[in-house]
Amino acid sequence: MSLGPVITKWGAGPRRAHARRTWGTLFALVLHTVRLQRRSALIWGLALGIYSAAIVATFPTFGDMEQLDQLMRAYPEGLREAFNIEDMGTPEGFLDSQVFSLAPLALAFFPILACSGAIAGAEERQTLDVLLGNPLPRWQLVVGSFLATALSLLGIAAVVGLFTWGTALLFDVDLSLLTTAAAVLNLWPICLFFGGLALLCSALLHRRALATAIPGVALFAAYLADVLGKVSDDLEDLRPASVFYYYGTAIKDGIDWANFAGVTLAALFCVLLAVLAFSRRDIYT
Amino acid sequence: MSAAIETQKLTKTYGRSRGIRYVDLAVREGEVFGFLGPNGAGKTTTIRTLFGFLRPSEGRAWVFGMDVRKRSVEIRARVGNLPGEFVLEDRMSGEDLLQFFARLRGVKDLGYARELAERLGADLHRPMRRLSRGNKQKVGLIQAMFHRPPLLVLDEPTSGLDPLVQEEFLEIVDDVRAEGRTVFFSSHVLSEVERVCDRVGIIRDGQLVTVEPTRELVNKAFRHVTLTFDEPVDPGPFRALPGVRDLKADGARISFALHEAPDGLVKLAAKHRLVSLDYERPSLEEIFLTYYGGRS
Repeated sequence: MSLGPVITKWGAGPRRAHARRTWGTLFALVLHTVRLQRRSALIWGLALGIYSAAIVATFPTFGDMEQLDQLMRAYPEGLREAFNIEDMGTPEGFLDSQVFSLAPLALAFFPILACSGAIAGAEERQTLDVLLGNPLPRWQLVVGSFLATALSLLGIAAVVGLFTWGTALLFDVDLSLLTTAAAVLNLWPICLFFGGLALLCSALLHRRALATAIPGVALFAAYLADVLGKVSDDLEDLRPASVFYYYGTAIKDGIDWANFAGVTLAALFCVLLAVLAFSRRDIYT
Repeated sequence: MSAAIETQKLTKTYGRSRGIRYVDLAVREGEVFGFLGPNGAGKTTTIRTLFGFLRPSEGRAWVFGMDVRKRSVEIRARVGNLPGEFVLEDRMSGEDLLQFFARLRGVKDLGYARELAERLGADLHRPMRRLSRGNKQKVGLIQAMFHRPPLLVLDEPTSGLDPLVQEEFLEIVDDVRAEGRTVFFSSHVLSEVERVCDRVGIIRDGQLVTVEPTRELVNKAFRHVTLTFDEPVDPGPFRALPGVRDLKADGARISFALHEAPDGLVKLAAKHRLVSLDYERPSLEEIFLTYYGGRS
C-alpha cells in the first residue's frame, strides 16, 4: 500500500518572508483575541473604575483627617502595615488602603480567566481544532493569548486610572495624574503574573476549572502570606516568597522598577513553561 | 502518482480500547478518498493525528511528504480542515472569522469564499450564536475550502446540511477533484460516498479493515429485497436461490437479503404476477457487519 513519502516542493523560503509570516500571524491572533476580550475588559475597567471613583469621592467627606489618623494610630503597628492604613490622611494613603492594596485580588481574575480560557477553555468549547487548522504554531497561540491579555489589562488599568483621576479633579482631591498612573500601572505585572500562572495550568491541564482554581488559590495564598508576614515576626521570612511582597505601594512611593521588571519576568517565565508544556501535549476535544 | 497522505503503522492509544492501531494508509494526490467507519471507530483520531493535534504512540504519517510531527505548521498551510465536532466563536460573524483566517493564511482575496457562501446559501453576516446547526456547518465548510488548499480533510462534512445543500456541496467536491486537488472525506453516508469518492477506506475498532475502489465496495454489498405478489407464493424456490439469506414469507409478501446478482431472482419472480419490488442497498453499518463482522 505504501507509496513512499514524496519530497515536497514546500521549502523553508527566504528567512525574511518567514519572519514576516510569523509576525503577521502573531499580530493577527493578538488583534483577534483583544477583540474577543474587549467587552469583558470594558466591564472590568468600568467596575473597578467606578469603585475607585467612589472611594475618591468619599475622601473629602472625612472632614477631620487628624482624628482619623489618631484612630488608626491606635491600632498595632503590624496591623496598620498589613492593611496599609498608616497614612489615611492623604489621598494617596487613603486610596492605597481602600483601593490599590486590594485591587490585585479582584483584577488578577481578569487575566486568570482569559488565560485559563485560551487553551483548556478553548479545548472545552471545541474552538481549538478550527483555529489550529490554520498554519498557526502552538507557541503563537500561547504567546498571542498572553500578549492580548497583557494589552487588555493595560486598557483596564487605563480606564481605572481615568475614573480615579477624573473624580479627583471633579471633587478637588489633590491627586496628580502621574501618581494615579503609577498606581494603576503597578497593578499590571502582579495581575499578569497570575495570568501567566493560569496559562501554564491551561497548557498543562485539560480543564479550565482547574486552570482557574489553581492560580486563584495561589493569589489568595500569596496575599495571605504577605499580610501574615507583616503582622507576625515569625512569619516575616515568608514574605519574599509572595509576589505581593514585590507589589509595594506605588501610589505613595512610586513604581519600584526593579520589582516591576522582576514580577514581569516571572510572568514571562510562566509563559515560557506554558509554551513548552503545550507544544508537547495532545489537544483534546 | 504520489501520496497526499501516507501513514505507516500509525497508532494512537488513549487507554485500553480507544484509538487507532497500525493504520497503513495511502491517499493519492488528486483523488477523493472516503474514510468510513461507525462512531468511535477511529476516523477522527486518524484525522487529528494527521494535523498534529494528537501525537502518535507509534508509527509515522506524512502529508505531501512532510512528517506530521515535525512540519505540522507547513502541513496546515496546505490543508483545509473541517473538524467533525467544532464550535466557531459565537460573537463573530462568518465574514469576521473568514477575514481572521485569511490573515492567518496570508490570503488577500475572499472572492472564492463569497462564491462558496453563495453556492451553499451561507449567511456570513449574522453572528454564529444566531445561526442554526446547518448554517454553522456551511461556515465551517467555507473556512476549510476558501483558500483553495491542495488537500481538503473533511470530517462528516454533510452533517446538519439539508439535502439540496448536500448535493451542492458534493458538486463542489467534484469541482475540487476536477482542479486536481485531493479530498479526504469521512462519512457515515454510503450514498454520498458512492457519489463522489474514488476509493474508500473502512476503519473499525481502530484498525483499517480495507481500502477499495468505491464501486467494488458498493457492488460487493448485499441488497434488501421485498417482493409483493398478487397472491401467496411458495417461498421454497426463492429460499433456494444462490445468495438468499434471512428469508421471511408473509402471505403474498416475501423479503430477504440477496448477496448475489439479481438475475436468478428476476427470472423466478417473473413466473408470478408481481405487484411491487423493493430493492434497497443496506446501511453502511450493515455492510460492516456483513463483510467485516468476523475480523478484528
